[in-house]
Amino acid sequence: MHSILFFAVGVVVLSLALKEVTIGDQAKVVRSIGQSGIDFFASVIAMFLGISTIWKELEKKTIYTLLSKPIPRWMFLMGKYAGLMLTVIVEVVLLAVLYSLLMMVQQSFPPPVFFVSVALLIVELMLITAWSILFSSYSAPTTATAFMIATFCIGHLADDIWLFSNSAETPIFRQMGSFLYWTLPNFEALSIREAAIHGREIPWERVGFALMYGLSYTMAVLVAATAIFKRRDIP
Amino acid sequence: MSIAVQTKKLTKYYRSGFWMRRTLALQDLDLSVQAGEVFGFVGPNGAGKTTTLKILAGLHEPSSGEAFLFSHPVSSLDAKRTLGFLPERPYFYVHLSPRELLHFYGQLYDMPKQLRNNRIEELLERMQMRWVGDVPMKKFSKGMLQRIGLCQTILHDPKLLILDEPMSGLDPLGRALVRDLILDEKEKGKTVFFSSHVLSDVESICSRVALLVKGSLRSVGTISSLLKEGTSYSECLIRLSGVFPLDCEFRKIGEEQYRFQILSDSLDHAVDTIRSKGGSIIEVRPIRQSLEELLVEEVQRDRVNPEKMGVWV
Repeated sequence: MHSILFFAVGVVVLSLALKEVTIGDQAKVVRSIGQSGIDFFASVIAMFLGISTIWKELEKKTIYTLLSKPIPRWMFLMGKYAGLMLTVIVEVVLLAVLYSLLMMVQQSFPPPVFFVSVALLIVELMLITAWSILFSSYSAPTTATAFMIATFCIGHLADDIWLFSNSAETPIFRQMGSFLYWTLPNFEALSIREAAIHGREIPWERVGFALMYGLSYTMAVLVAATAIFKRRDIP
Repeated sequence: MSIAVQTKKLTKYYRSGFWMRRTLALQDLDLSVQAGEVFGFVGPNGAGKTTTLKILAGLHEPSSGEAFLFSHPVSSLDAKRTLGFLPERPYFYVHLSPRELLHFYGQLYDMPKQLRNNRIEELLERMQMRWVGDVPMKKFSKGMLQRIGLCQTILHDPKLLILDEPMSGLDPLGRALVRDLILDEKEKGKTVFFSSHVLSDVESICSRVALLVKGSLRSVGTISSLLKEGTSYSECLIRLSGVFPLDCEFRKIGEEQYRFQILSDSLDHAVDTIRSKGGSIIEVRPIRQSLEELLVEEVQRDRVNPEKMGVWV
């Protein structure tokens, strides 16, 4: 956990160093590396925490004395989720503040769209954490990690899957691509990083759609996770 | 008198392996524990004791059948409010101190702060753990963790205690502490349902006992009635001159004394025979079967007649 945070901070600092060796729009490269670093490491933290939190309770058997008390299982799961999100949000805010300070020193204070981008990153992390909780609510940590990495990758390639499936000649591939696109998360729909890097304005409808999509999808995943966890035998 | 614990045809399968094959752990368990009883649950490893207790604590879902605590389904919050559960080898958040942990658990029962404070101090004192009340539990021994486990079990003064192997791995002092706690709770009218391998303790403190072998209930009743169900013998010492007249093994002691064991049912006949031969009875002592012997007998009977329990079905 600390090493990941340390590494994330390192990437932001590295982007400053790259300024000296980059040809072309140096400022843009620095912003790109800094913001991508925040996105990537915050996502890794969310996945790692989401998977390990339930597993640790099971492995250390601390869950026995907890679930035999009068608390519903959904409340236990939601409590864990809320705690995780609080941790993740604190991390993201710290990284964003650090990035802003570095930008102030090196370029200029980030435009408002950067902060909208951070807000949408938090929504994306809510969804990633919800998926991690869903996987860890029924499977072992290694399986959950594999599922989560696959979901994360597919979620970031959702637009490509849509494009490829639409251009496929075989109907079954088109249907399969369409099924994957509509069922698995589309993390890119929540990302306005490119606009934030270039300082472009983003229409509020786009932000509103991303918020609605992210929050409703998160809700659905959490409902599924609680339904599964409710019936799980505590080993 | 109300029923504290009731199970009806309680059955549990576990699924395991790549093909998710079923393993039967508990079959058609019908059990009733009256309020105010100290009820012992005994059986060899893998008999289904922990499975039963975990179902009662709401940690496992039964495959079929029903279970109730004070008439509330075990999965309900009302059932859990009546319950204090101690798992086998309890584990806690070890970065917390006993006081912090007990305050956290007390909050889960909506206990007001003042009540929590008083109760926690009372329990730490009773368990002789006050001196480490603010020390993180990282370096606690097993016995110390077990004491904290007992504190959290009775923290909210529950009507029913379910304890899974509460004496396992404890030194004699620890076992005495658990035994005293169970008897104290019984005095207060609480119900205690516990599993144990320490059969001498079960014999000494339980009102009734259930014997579970390979997932099915073999016997249930008071200790004396269960032991009566088994074969009982009497040991006799007699004085007799001449040939030993009975058809059983005997040991000659001195010139005219014999010691032998005989089925209690045949005792009258044996006494008559000895007297008719001019002998006299010096001592007759009933040999009481122990719970341990009963358990061994049941397990051995099971080996002779193996059934499809604990195997893939």
